[in-house]
Amino acid sequence: MQFRLEKRQEPSRFMLYATPVAAVVLTMVLGAIIFSLIGFDGLGAVREIFLTPLINPLKWQDLAVKASPLIIIAVGLSIGYRANVWNIGAEGQYIVGGLAGTGVALATWEMTGWWLLPLMIIAGIAGGMAYAAVPALLRVKFKVNEILTTLMLTYVSVQLLNYLVLGPWINPTGYGQAQTRLFNADQTLPYIIPGTIVQLGTPIALLVALVAWVLMSKSMFGFQIRVVGLAPHAARYGGFSEGKTIWLALLVGGGLAGLAGVLEVAGPFGRMVPSFPTNYGFTAIIVAFLGRLNPLGIVVAGIVLAITFVGGQVAQTTIGLPFPAVGLFQAMMLFLLLAGDILVRYRLRRVVPLAVAEDVA
Amino acid sequence: MSPDLLIGLIITLVGASTPILLAALGELVAEKSGVLNLGVEGMMLVGAVICFAVTYNTGNPWLGIVAAALASTAVAMIFAVLTLGLSANQVATGLALTIFGTGFSALFGRAYTGKPLALFKSIFPDWLATHPVLKVLFGYSPLVYFSFAMVALVWWFLAKTRGGLILRAVGESDISAHSMGYSVIGVRYGAVAFGGAMAGIAGSCFPLMLTPQWVEGLTAGRGWIALALVVFGAWRPIRLLGGAYLFGLVMTIELYAKAGGGVAHVLPSQFWAALPYLATILVLVLISLRQSSNTSAPACLGKPFLPTN
Amino acid sequence: MVDTCDPTAETSRTMAEKMIGTGLKDIVRGEGRQMGNAKFVVSNLSTRKLGHFDVAVEGVSFSVRAGEILGIAGVAGNGQNALLDALSGEVEAHAATAIVLDGQPLGQLGTTARRKHGLCAVPEERNGHAAVGDFSLAENTILTARDRMSMVVMGLINSGAARTYTGKVITEFAVKALGPASLAGSLSGGNLQKYIMGREILQRPSVLVVSQPTWGVDAGAAAAIHQALVDLAAEGSAIVVISQDLDELLVLCDTMAVINSGRLSASKPVGTVTVDEIGLLMGGVHGDKTAEGAHAVPA
Repeated sequence: MQFRLEKRQEPSRFMLYATPVAAVVLTMVLGAIIFSLIGFDGLGAVREIFLTPLINPLKWQDLAVKASPLIIIAVGLSIGYRANVWNIGAEGQYIVGGLAGTGVALATWEMTGWWLLPLMIIAGIAGGMAYAAVPALLRVKFKVNEILTTLMLTYVSVQLLNYLVLGPWINPTGYGQAQTRLFNADQTLPYIIPGTIVQLGTPIALLVALVAWVLMSKSMFGFQIRVVGLAPHAARYGGFSEGKTIWLALLVGGGLAGLAGVLEVAGPFGRMVPSFPTNYGFTAIIVAFLGRLNPLGIVVAGIVLAITFVGGQVAQTTIGLPFPAVGLFQAMMLFLLLAGDILVRYRLRRVVPLAVAEDVA
Repeated sequence: MSPDLLIGLIITLVGASTPILLAALGELVAEKSGVLNLGVEGMMLVGAVICFAVTYNTGNPWLGIVAAALASTAVAMIFAVLTLGLSANQVATGLALTIFGTGFSALFGRAYTGKPLALFKSIFPDWLATHPVLKVLFGYSPLVYFSFAMVALVWWFLAKTRGGLILRAVGESDISAHSMGYSVIGVRYGAVAFGGAMAGIAGSCFPLMLTPQWVEGLTAGRGWIALALVVFGAWRPIRLLGGAYLFGLVMTIELYAKAGGGVAHVLPSQFWAALPYLATILVLVLISLRQSSNTSAPACLGKPFLPTN
Repeated sequence: MVDTCDPTAETSRTMAEKMIGTGLKDIVRGEGRQMGNAKFVVSNLSTRKLGHFDVAVEGVSFSVRAGEILGIAGVAGNGQNALLDALSGEVEAHAATAIVLDGQPLGQLGTTARRKHGLCAVPEERNGHAAVGDFSLAENTILTARDRMSMVVMGLINSGAARTYTGKVITEFAVKALGPASLAGSLSGGNLQKYIMGREILQRPSVLVVSQPTWGVDAGAAAAIHQALVDLAAEGSAIVVISQDLDELLVLCDTMAVINSGRLSASKPVGTVTVDEIGLLMGGVHGDKTAEGAHAVPA
């Protein structure tokens, strides 16, 4: 039996949304097989990583905490990717956003007032934007590839973080431990559901996704982003400047990553520490693709990836699966998703020699 | 500067430059065929961990290098099947490859964390390899000589052979190459496989030459620097050699600064650690200023090839 | 339907009629069409070379009256694309007064502002330039008609308005498509061209600049497009048609000029030029006096 790929007249909407689901399911199946083959408890790994966090209500609050920054960052990245702007340094913008918020917190740590937190959040967004402005400027002015610059700046931001928490920002009463002082009550995010660890970051993430969805599907901003990404020449003809769009895409991406950063440092962390970079910026790339670069899809994808993080910790304690295994599951999911992409634009036809071909897609 | 210090400096420089040179040579060939594989860092990490595991268990670094090359080629084939077979987005797939490699090396490297590995020493007789002056020429791991040989080989292949001509044709104009009867996809599979093998060998430089015990994420972004290096080298092997040693020099300065040499203390150690990355950005800007609108990148770079029939 | 004929005994017109199955309609030239005053005046327009193989335009000057169709003939690659980009606003002119519409200097405005002033343009390349293949027809309508047809309110897209206008284009220009939601890339080249021409013409622009309006379009559709252009002119618009098809220009235009190596000859009424004359100009022979006049500003 032979198969042949045939171009569809129009991309299949069904496949567009079915392939991410199929990718997750296939990851579970293949993951169980592969991890069994290399000597782990494959079935147990899939159960603990993908199902336990969903089934156990005690884990739901962890999901909310993990999914929120992923969703916020991925929404920003997806806007850039739609414009063909490949910002892969969200991790760095997240760190700088967190640092900017920390800077404000440390400068105001003896003060009180409701305005402290909003000020930190604004600083965080501005920090992320400023850090993304560098690759934007280099791309627009000097045509320097943003993939490399955003990534290089991530490595730089880690050093900046280390320098600050070890040096000027070190907790004066912390016996030399590399961390800042704890933020005061007005500088930390309030809990929104009593008795849980769910903080203000979660509703903000949902709001960000909703606003982005409206902007991307209903506004000229979204139209501009999409047309520049799909056909730059047509965009120029339509009156949209490519340079301005690159700036917009990077500033929005950087600003949202910065927002996620300041929400993390003012939320779960409560102070700046060297272990602040938690790869959210990189995982958000998977979230953006799994969510089909659609803000609402990203909410679902953010929860899926949060499940793997929370489940990875569960699997570590219950069946002793090393945590990096989660990264392999995530990568496998992305591989399968990208492989499935072809079904959106092509249909698979069985080629029966000298007979009528029948549709198997 | 004393002669001893200078010799030490040169040896450190060569060590720092070799892995990025090897990885960049592989990526150069892949890009010349029109494929942008952003997964270099991931392939290097896979190579590094496989090399460590095989060398640690067999005691034979040669086996380690071969295994690393094979493993990274296999990983590169995942990329090739997705992007060439299924025309998936090359940027996204390359990123996925790096995420995969990071997870893979972290998972399989755990068993070796902190375990020591003997350095892969020079193959020259001891009196040459450890001679206070001559070690500048003879004191290196075979991987170093291999990297130089590969520069010459890649240059010769691309510039002087029919195969190189076909590869460049595929990267410059896939449609013409296709209509002349060459297999565009076939050539690109080969180029991506070569890129994978070279990234694997580059990865094996870390356990064999640079950090003789397993450290998670030991490539520290060198794969990305290799990608920048290809741009810096304007897709030419000889310029790539120069670029690799220039980047190597920046990293050498970092190492000396960390060790606390002289003026380094004026600035915090984190500045020196960030220097290679800042230098990369600076270099990318300088290149774009020098190159006019006529870029030297292969015309089909990163674009999927979809024959109409 | 199968018909046989002796090609040597047929004209291209009767062949075309056989192919499309109906008689070709004659273009109803706007007999007694009133030519108004100079409406669209371009003076000494130059562009910079963008790439190594790019042909720029140099010192191009012409003027089109209300109701007039000016044809610009030329062999491909003589600066037609640069001229269109400069007129549409994709490339800005060095001086605002290089392009004047009804006394308004437009030379340094972008495409959006020029459209608001009534200057619309259709580039030669359909997929990827005049239209986005991965966008629906309705979205492609937003690309160029959003301001003149009020499809955007406070930054938000009124998709109902876009669909309605797209439906009108599809009906009036007989575009073979399932509807406004069809992807532009799924249309045949000829149907996409009909859609694009309809999208611009139905905006009733004061000036329409089109490149290769009937490239790859079947004879019946070409006649319909030609008729629509003539009708638009009859309403008092000024039209510039850039084409490599001499026959098309001779049928359609009132005046003609020739572009060669980025320079434009003086324009002449169609009745007064011979095909030989145009052929010589297209080949770059500028021996006669009228052609010299075009080079008022030597490079």
